Amino acid sequence: MRTFQKTMISASLAIAALASPLAMTNARAAGTLTVALHQDPGNWDPIATFLVAWGAVGGQVFDGLIMRTPDMKLVPGLATKWEFLDKNSKIRFTLRPNVKFHNGEPFDAEAVKFTFDRLLGDEGKKGPQQSNYAAIDKVVVVNPLTVDMYLKSPDPVLLTKLAGYGAMIVPPKYIKEKGSEYFGMNPVGTGPFKFTEYKPKVSLSFARNPDYWGGAPKVDSLVYRFIAEPATQAAELQAGRVDVANQVPLAMLETLKKDPKLAVVSMDGPVALALRYNTSRGIMKDREVRKALIMAVDRDAIIKTILLGQAKPIASFQGELSFGYDPALKPLPFNPAQAKAMLAKAGVKPGTQVQLDFRGPDSNFREVSQAVAAYLQGVGIQVSLKPYETNVLLNDIIPNGKTGEMWQNQWGGWTFDYDNTAYSMYYTKQRWNPFDDDAKLNALLHTQRNSWDQAERQKTLREIGRYVADQALEMPLYSLNTVYGVNKRARNLALPADGRFRFVEATVE
Amino acid sequence: MTGFLIKRFLQAVFVVLVVTLFVSYAVRLSGDPAIMLAQGAGSVTEQDLQNIRTGLGLDRPFPVQYAEFVKGMLVGDFGRSFLGGTPVSRLIGDALPATLSLAGASLLLSLLISIPLGIQAAVHQGGPIDQAIRIGSLVGLSFPNFWLAIMLVLLLSIAFPVFPPSGWDGPISLVLPTLTMAIIFSATNIRLVRTAMLETLSAQYIMVARAKGLKNSVVLYQHALRNCAIPLITYIGLQFGKMIGGLVVVEKVFNWPGMGTLAFDAISARDYPVLQGSVTVLALLVVLANLLVDVAYGIVDPRIRNS
Repeated sequence: MRTFQKTMISASLAIAALASPLAMTNARAAGTLTVALHQDPGNWDPIATFLVAWGAVGGQVFDGLIMRTPDMKLVPGLATKWEFLDKNSKIRFTLRPNVKFHNGEPFDAEAVKFTFDRLLGDEGKKGPQQSNYAAIDKVVVVNPLTVDMYLKSPDPVLLTKLAGYGAMIVPPKYIKEKGSEYFGMNPVGTGPFKFTEYKPKVSLSFARNPDYWGGAPKVDSLVYRFIAEPATQAAELQAGRVDVANQVPLAMLETLKKDPKLAVVSMDGPVALALRYNTSRGIMKDREVRKALIMAVDRDAIIKTILLGQAKPIASFQGELSFGYDPALKPLPFNPAQAKAMLAKAGVKPGTQVQLDFRGPDSNFREVSQAVAAYLQGVGIQVSLKPYETNVLLNDIIPNGKTGEMWQNQWGGWTFDYDNTAYSMYYTKQRWNPFDDDAKLNALLHTQRNSWDQAERQKTLREIGRYVADQALEMPLYSLNTVYGVNKRARNLALPADGRFRFVEATVE
Repeated sequence: MTGFLIKRFLQAVFVVLVVTLFVSYAVRLSGDPAIMLAQGAGSVTEQDLQNIRTGLGLDRPFPVQYAEFVKGMLVGDFGRSFLGGTPVSRLIGDALPATLSLAGASLLLSLLISIPLGIQAAVHQGGPIDQAIRIGSLVGLSFPNFWLAIMLVLLLSIAFPVFPPSGWDGPISLVLPTLTMAIIFSATNIRLVRTAMLETLSAQYIMVARAKGLKNSVVLYQHALRNCAIPLITYIGLQFGKMIGGLVVVEKVFNWPGMGTLAFDAISARDYPVLQGSVTVLALLVVLANLLVDVAYGIVDPRIRNS
């Protein structure tokens, strides 16, 4: 017995001895910025994915012809200027001179042509990027520092799209020599950071590019760690092992705020949520009923209590940053008494059953749905809540029109343009529009999409917003804030609402 | 023994085939990876989705896709991840050692905890030590693994920052996930050892051993323990499947770069090849563990070996 106990004790001591010096390795190298990211897109080729997680990395390695600042302004990137020619059928870009890719290859008109040939050709077909650039016919080299982009049709959001994702400029020689597959694992661009190491599912590392045309980054290196669990991201932040966490649980925000080393940064974000109505069915056919239901729910209270204030009420399916947002359009007021009267007038019997379909794994929205159900019960509507696994809801239930009377719809997008949302939601037979078929709405959507005139578009988009609100095609809920957890030792992070980081000015103490 | 092993091997192949067939079919019922890949895209048309499906080979009939998977599997090629195109065999190659080291360390630690405690409980049957150990194991048994994991992180990474809360920073990162798994498994193992020990201690040969005046430790650890080993080994073998399930959760909480995390993320992304590959490997592990249990019987108890 004694021998056994001795062995146990020595084993424990050995483990402890082994552990203690290792504990010291927690302290990280100075000048390294560490970011927790919720997902590993698995490939760093700009045409390969459209995941938000890709966007959070892409801007460090690559540049577009046009760039967007954290406050969403379009500014010159690899193109110093651009002008619309031949009645808006062509855009002429003047390129930035003396720019080199990380491998030493020069950036020039050929690289731009190669990038778009690749994106619009067979290679681009494999990914989801191509359709976003469908308005582009071809790119023609005028001289080494000038290209013409010929357009098939107007796309009012094109300049914004050139500032991101698929339109990032890639090195022709490198890709031709090494192949796309290698490029996807070992990206090379003109951006502020040079790729150094990629461990799939674990981490991605960069070193500063001292020759960056926009001025070298201040930190020596940048590390992304892939951490899917929000709670784990928060723990890593608390332990001082990551500087920026892109997903922290709402419930943890107060704890993080209380920590003197940490800060919570919150701003308007791109994601809006609504409960769409199945207008083909039962009481939901009646516009007055749909309006009454909106008025029966106290969205301010939901935002305050369940979302802890990290959201804003909306009147149309978009947040304040979206182009086409109408500050004059106010959400219907919370007025259960009037809602009750409207329902009675429409002949809706107390105790009428409706079904609400939502994304089951989303624990916050589960609480929101429960609150909505309780409010609706207050005006005599019985709500049965039906959680679905997210992908089942998105793949099977909604596009095939198999929803209940109400269903959760959540929409993000990085272009911050209502066109994107509205077209997918309301144009007849679009994937996210299983029920509505409205000629007037189609015409409006079509008009704004085929115009370059932003003032005109703004007007039309606002008209769409008002029309949809008037028809009460959905119960608009709120637009979510983008929330980051940050270690205060990191400065000048310039955190963006759309999650597309660029840490050129950032420093770490 | 050889005939036994061949029979067991053929059984194993059959089990793995059934598992892969089921997983491959079920995952295809659960949703379209094209929409996951297009997630966040501004305006995805049905044609784009079709292009993606064709690119991934999903437009072919299921039997063709499955046959191709099995063909690849035979040469250790599980295809490529839909999410980015990394070869699945590389992802598994990275993840498997992480999972095996965690499973191995947890098993070892749980035995180091449960054997002496189980024996002490049996020896002091009914006394305060026995009561304390039994209550302790009941408490351990009642912890959900993810809760325990989070509590350990709060205590040992944040309140007292001794261990990293997640990821892989060398052997020190093993401590918290191992502790979580070991606590959960020790709770059941202690009760098992205690029961088996109580039975053994009342056997005649133990009385004989004591009567011969042998030291208490020799009686307990050399005579009695060996006879407790059979139920313990059986249970650990059966437990292995459950352990893999627990690993998925614990790996997820600790962001452990192992098979559990790999499979879990593959499910949420509908990354069929990664899911098929990782489930196949996990199934192989469970089958292998059961095979090892049978072999271990023979080693521990010569009567089984000879029959």
